[in-house]
Amino acid sequence: MRSEPRLAHFAVLAALALTVLPLFLQLPPWVPLLFALQLGGRAWLAWQGRQLPHRVWLLLAMIVPVLLLWLSLRTLVGREGGVALLLLLTGFKAFETVTLRDWRVLLGLGFFLAATPLLFDQSLPSALWLLLSLFVLTWAMVLLAGVDSAASPRAAALALLYAMPLMLLLFVAMPRLPGPLWSMPSTDQRATSGLSDSLAPGSIGQMIPSREPAFTAQFRGRQPTREQLYWRVMVFDRFDGARWTAGSVPDNGTALLPGATEVLAYSVTATPFKGVLPVLEHAVWAGEGVQQAAAQLVRRIDARNEARLRYDVRSVAQAAYPAALNAEQRAHYLQLPAANLRTRQQGEFFARQFRDEAGRLAALRAWLQQQGLRYTLSPPLLQGDVVDDFLFSSRQGFCEHFASAFATLARAAGLPARIVVGFQGGEFNAGGQFWLVRSSDAHAWTEVWLQGRWQRVDPTVLVAPSRIVSEVGELVPEAQAVLPVLGRRPPQWWHTVQAQWQRAGFVWQQWVVDYDAQRQQSLFQRLGLGRVGVGSVMTVLLLGGALLVLPLLLWLLWRRPPPRSYPVRGWQLLVSRLQQAGVAAQASDTPAQLRDKAALLAPALQQQLAQLLADWQRWRYAEGAADADPRWRGWWWQVRRFRPPRLAAKKRTGR
Amino acid sequence: MQSISFAYRQLNALILGKPLQIRLALTCVLAGGHLLIEDVPGVGKTTLAHALAGVLGLDYRRVQFTSDLLPADMLGVSLFRPDEGRFEFQPGPVFSQLLLADEINRASPKVQSALLEAMEERQVSIDGLTHALPKPFFVIATQNPDGQLGTFPLPESQLDRFLMRISLGYPSPESERALLLAGDRRQALSALPVAMKAGELLALQQKAAQVTVSGALADYVLALLLASRKRELFMHGLSPRAGLAILAAARAWAMLDGRDHVLPEDVKAVFVAVCAHRLQSRLPGMNSIDAAQRLLDHVPLA
Repeated sequence: MRSEPRLAHFAVLAALALTVLPLFLQLPPWVPLLFALQLGGRAWLAWQGRQLPHRVWLLLAMIVPVLLLWLSLRTLVGREGGVALLLLLTGFKAFETVTLRDWRVLLGLGFFLAATPLLFDQSLPSALWLLLSLFVLTWAMVLLAGVDSAASPRAAALALLYAMPLMLLLFVAMPRLPGPLWSMPSTDQRATSGLSDSLAPGSIGQMIPSREPAFTAQFRGRQPTREQLYWRVMVFDRFDGARWTAGSVPDNGTALLPGATEVLAYSVTATPFKGVLPVLEHAVWAGEGVQQAAAQLVRRIDARNEARLRYDVRSVAQAAYPAALNAEQRAHYLQLPAANLRTRQQGEFFARQFRDEAGRLAALRAWLQQQGLRYTLSPPLLQGDVVDDFLFSSRQGFCEHFASAFATLARAAGLPARIVVGFQGGEFNAGGQFWLVRSSDAHAWTEVWLQGRWQRVDPTVLVAPSRIVSEVGELVPEAQAVLPVLGRRPPQWWHTVQAQWQRAGFVWQQWVVDYDAQRQQSLFQRLGLGRVGVGSVMTVLLLGGALLVLPLLLWLLWRRPPPRSYPVRGWQLLVSRLQQAGVAAQASDTPAQLRDKAALLAPALQQQLAQLLADWQRWRYAEGAADADPRWRGWWWQVRRFRPPRLAAKKRTGR
Repeated sequence: MQSISFAYRQLNALILGKPLQIRLALTCVLAGGHLLIEDVPGVGKTTLAHALAGVLGLDYRRVQFTSDLLPADMLGVSLFRPDEGRFEFQPGPVFSQLLLADEINRASPKVQSALLEAMEERQVSIDGLTHALPKPFFVIATQNPDGQLGTFPLPESQLDRFLMRISLGYPSPESERALLLAGDRRQALSALPVAMKAGELLALQQKAAQVTVSGALADYVLALLLASRKRELFMHGLSPRAGLAILAAARAWAMLDGRDHVLPEDVKAVFVAVCAHRLQSRLPGMNSIDAAQRLLDHVPLA
């Protein structure tokens, strides 16, 4: 039973609207809104059965939105501009959609539009939304094909299911571009980590930890302890009395020599922060796509590419440095401004008191511990000499305050020191065997040059050891993830659900989004296909396609009714020939009914038809001729030659 | 065959503007099936039954069904003859060639099932004795549509015993005007000439049963039956008995056309009358007649 075409038209419009819903988050809101209005207007015209506007009006109406688009984005190409323009033009296309073919074109545009949200966001929710869009679009296509509305959801689901193996094959085999297509600069840059490119303790009154995930890491072999996880992202070594920034001094070698200690091998999936990617201390080896840089950091090779990246690193617990600090470097790491007199005096006191550098450091640590400093995320603002104010007056602060104070103290005491900013710890997802590091794990600590190498000193641990052992969230009540509605501590199942969701997101990122040119290459090589090229891709597509499609095809053929005989095929052909000629013929009509319905055909054709029908009826019903009767062959060929021309077509309307 | 067309003309002259229903009724008689006429009172149900009996020269009895009717009132009773010292069977009105069961849905289910049993078996068992019913024997039952007060609707399993269900409906304005002007039909009824000799109807029934059904036609009927069982249109599909009924009726219809073989159009002509009362529509706002027609419109001939 055929469904009503109007229902299919509404389904197409609804599917288009649903598909582009995520674009509300990415484009100027008026663009998707206008698109929705366009679809709504087209649906209203269909509902009322009205005539569509003339083409001239459409052309005129197009000018204003396109101009507006130009004014608001200053471009009609690129990611935002291109997608917005496509959206608007699709909306106008709906107004010249009349015939079945037009509706199919509109639906094809819908399939294209469904992919556009992925240009902005490739996370798991986007993928799930795409899947839903695909289903709804396919459903509209099935309705458009005239399938009964009750049977259409099943038919659409089956069609998608049949297509799934091919989809997977294409995903694996289609050549990747090196680097994502959509990493072209977009108009707005959003900060993606909890870090900034300088450190100024005391200028921020309150730090509100964000629970947003920053990056994930997966260790091969032994899992590290939380205390080991100091993720280094930035090194600040110049202090102007209020603000720490990254200076420029020749590094004493980027390559560390692994000692005889254990190795941590791990992969990190992270978004570069100004080209730098988080790694653990003493990174001795960096995999493809990244390189080791000054101050033992790791940078992306393609520094301008800000897309998320997965990279392999190896770190060791202790590493030897190839060279000692030279005089210039030593001066750089001891540099202090004239401010913070009391702190400097305190440091110089230690320098005089302890000749041995290790003993001096131990004394500094002991002294800091005795100062009654308190860890808090909402410290008072500091004034004047911020380090003095913190150490001797307010005595409240978080990691930045501690790191800044300790580095100043150490430099004053004659120990080269620098501040490292990054992340500490992370949350271990036992189900997915990976670490999730959040923005709230952002941390700052110090490194002191002692006995030929940089040694980590985390002054925060000296004051508030639990900051490292536990998460910020557990320490500070306001940092707890709260359910927005309930406004109280979330129940245990909420944590479980969250962990599972993070795990799914991780798997998605690892297996789908991170499947890039390099991984494809290694997969091809493992399969013995050689380099990814036209030849190997075609081989995979053809062979894989045949392997996947043939069983399906055989199964469908096997399920099909036995081959139809000449009289049956001929009857159906005859009916469809009449339908093509514009006669309202149906396969359920009797020969007499067909003859009556074909009364508009030319007399010669009518006579021909009458003869065909009479033979068919007489042989089949009066004489009881079997389907294998030799006469049917000749009759079938006569039907094939029977080609009535099309009768005058009816006028097209908005329906 | 002339006698049949004569009967057809006579009936059409009496019941105006209903040629299709009259032809279906004749088809039903020729196929040896029982006929159910469902309609509101006063549109000529009884007249049609009466006229059929008259024209076909059949022995005709009429039972007005009421809620206090007992099976014995219809089947007959065994009476004790004291003078002869034995029981004697007094046949009831069912022992006739054409029984008009008027308003069958007003009788109690007990009476209904007694009648329907007789229709199916073509014999009556009373006090351990089996009495054969006359030949030909058939029943024309009339019934008011559902929703009328004081009725016991026939269950589907019993509706199945009727070969066809037809309804006359209101006549067209022209026919009704002619009817108003012509006056009392009862006069015309008694003046109706008999079209057939005794035994002629039986011979025609036998001839109808011999009309050829080709393999292709059987395939078509099978396709209809299978389509009815697909659970889209109907609660339950058509039974094999319904399939046989379609063929029997289509044969008789083809014979009325003077053909010795059945064509798909014969099947289409009788399908709704034979099948609609055996089906229950699943589609909202669509009765079983519309649904049966829809089925016909969607099953291809080949």
